[in-house]
Amino acid sequence: MIISVNEGGFIMFTVNNLTFRYPRNKDYTIKGISFEIKEGEIFGLLGPSGVGKSTTQKILIKLLHNYRGEVSYMNENLNSYGKEFYQDIGVGFEMPVHFSKLTAEENISFFKKLYKFKVDSDELLKRLGLYKDKNKKVSQFSKGMKVRLNFVRALLNNPKILFLDEPTSGLDPKNARIIKDMIKEYKDNGGTVLLTTHLMNDVDELCNRVAFMVDGKISEIDTPKNLKLKHGERRVDIEYEDDSNITKVSFDLDNLSGDKKLLDIINNRKIITMHSKETTLDDIFIKVTGVENHE
Amino acid sequence: MNNVFVLIGGEIKRMKKYNILGASVFVALIWIGVLHFTEAEDITYLFPYLVFFDAVSMAMLMVGVTMFFEKQEGTLKTLLVSPINKSEYILSKVFVNVLSNILTLLLLYLYARIFKEIDLNILGLLGAVILVAFFHSLLGVILTYYSKDFTDLLMKMFLYSLIFMLPVILEQVDIISGQLIDKLIYIIPTKASMSLFLASTGLIETWEIYLSIAYMVTASVIMYIIVSKKFDEFAVKGSGV
Repeated sequence: MIISVNEGGFIMFTVNNLTFRYPRNKDYTIKGISFEIKEGEIFGLLGPSGVGKSTTQKILIKLLHNYRGEVSYMNENLNSYGKEFYQDIGVGFEMPVHFSKLTAEENISFFKKLYKFKVDSDELLKRLGLYKDKNKKVSQFSKGMKVRLNFVRALLNNPKILFLDEPTSGLDPKNARIIKDMIKEYKDNGGTVLLTTHLMNDVDELCNRVAFMVDGKISEIDTPKNLKLKHGERRVDIEYEDDSNITKVSFDLDNLSGDKKLLDIINNRKIITMHSKETTLDDIFIKVTGVENHE
Repeated sequence: MNNVFVLIGGEIKRMKKYNILGASVFVALIWIGVLHFTEAEDITYLFPYLVFFDAVSMAMLMVGVTMFFEKQEGTLKTLLVSPINKSEYILSKVFVNVLSNILTLLLLYLYARIFKEIDLNILGLLGAVILVAFFHSLLGVILTYYSKDFTDLLMKMFLYSLIFMLPVILEQVDIISGQLIDKLIYIIPTKASMSLFLASTGLIETWEIYLSIAYMVTASVIMYIIVSKKFDEFAVKGSGV
């Protein structure tokens, strides 16, 4: 099999001019989007609710079929894959999906049997703090525990690509940190992730590249850093003590080296704060999508 | 098809944990109660009717219950992104359902052998349960596809019983009769089902047994094709789209 190489990474998914309309809808939900997901990257699919993120994900995990355009996985048409495709992928849905009257262990053991390659699920349960509760019925679990069990379920087959929808939603900071660390480790070990989330801090911390979706189209696609540079101001703000007063000044980032005033402040004044004016992903989200990120 | 066995094992476990198997045994106990309070000692001719009721109605109901649980808990979504295909999913549900009907048959037969008099071909009855429960489980899947909720499914089942089960029983006990009815009734699957059950008593002619077998096998194949074709649509709805 020939694998195309792009900027140092194999292409896991290629989506070309993808269009999709639900049978009962008049309008198209996905309107001709194109992007690639490279091996070993965390790709964030961002945007407000209802813009087509979940639909795109459902097409990539073969839950939706009657689309137009091309979707290929490992350089083969996605439609040519049968059930063996699911040996390669792991899916963590936003809402916890478990058999509630079965214990965590029974849930895990049932799904584990379906895969050829299996990981040590006890290790995962221990890491996520669920091991001591593994013989409890899932109906007795808190929402956070169910979310963590979702994550274990997604990793059971040590997938090549992981689809995660709001993986830290409903988790306390400690458990959110564990999950984020595990996602990073998974990526460091060569795993690929498609991440859908509204938490821009998670995106900033985890994603190599992000795509912002608006009304079924991709409006921006780049690395978080490039997006911040593109949408931010190339300025640096400095607050310093000027006698007993605090003075705030702003400098053009492109002409810093020859700026005598800046050199004077650095050499002779006490600097209180110094910030480059790059923007945040939250601001970019609002600017690009036109929607406040309250979700 | 390796994962069919894993799915069957999982299905049986869930039927136990969700008390579906318990409900099935409870219904079997009700049938035993019916047999117990029947004055007649020889229940050979009553027995096939009870098994007919069970194989038709419980097969449709049980498969609907398990599928609604999966839809409700979102586990259908998880199954859909697991390395199984739709035929494995559908067949595992149907097989387990048939097993549940066989269990009921065995419980009833055991009771009848110990406490009553019965003289029928149990292997013939077993074959009838397999064919009839298989077909009606598939029908239960179809009804579940098109039911908004569990109450809706019950209503559809009730309608099926009214339209397809009742006339067959009325015709069998000669409450309705006539040349046209006798012929027309062969169109509906419940007539073939009833004939297969009654065949175990030796009351049915050989040609009618073969016709009923051919009918149920053909109907099951057609029903399986429909279930399979409509599965994707149901899966999309069931996965929360």
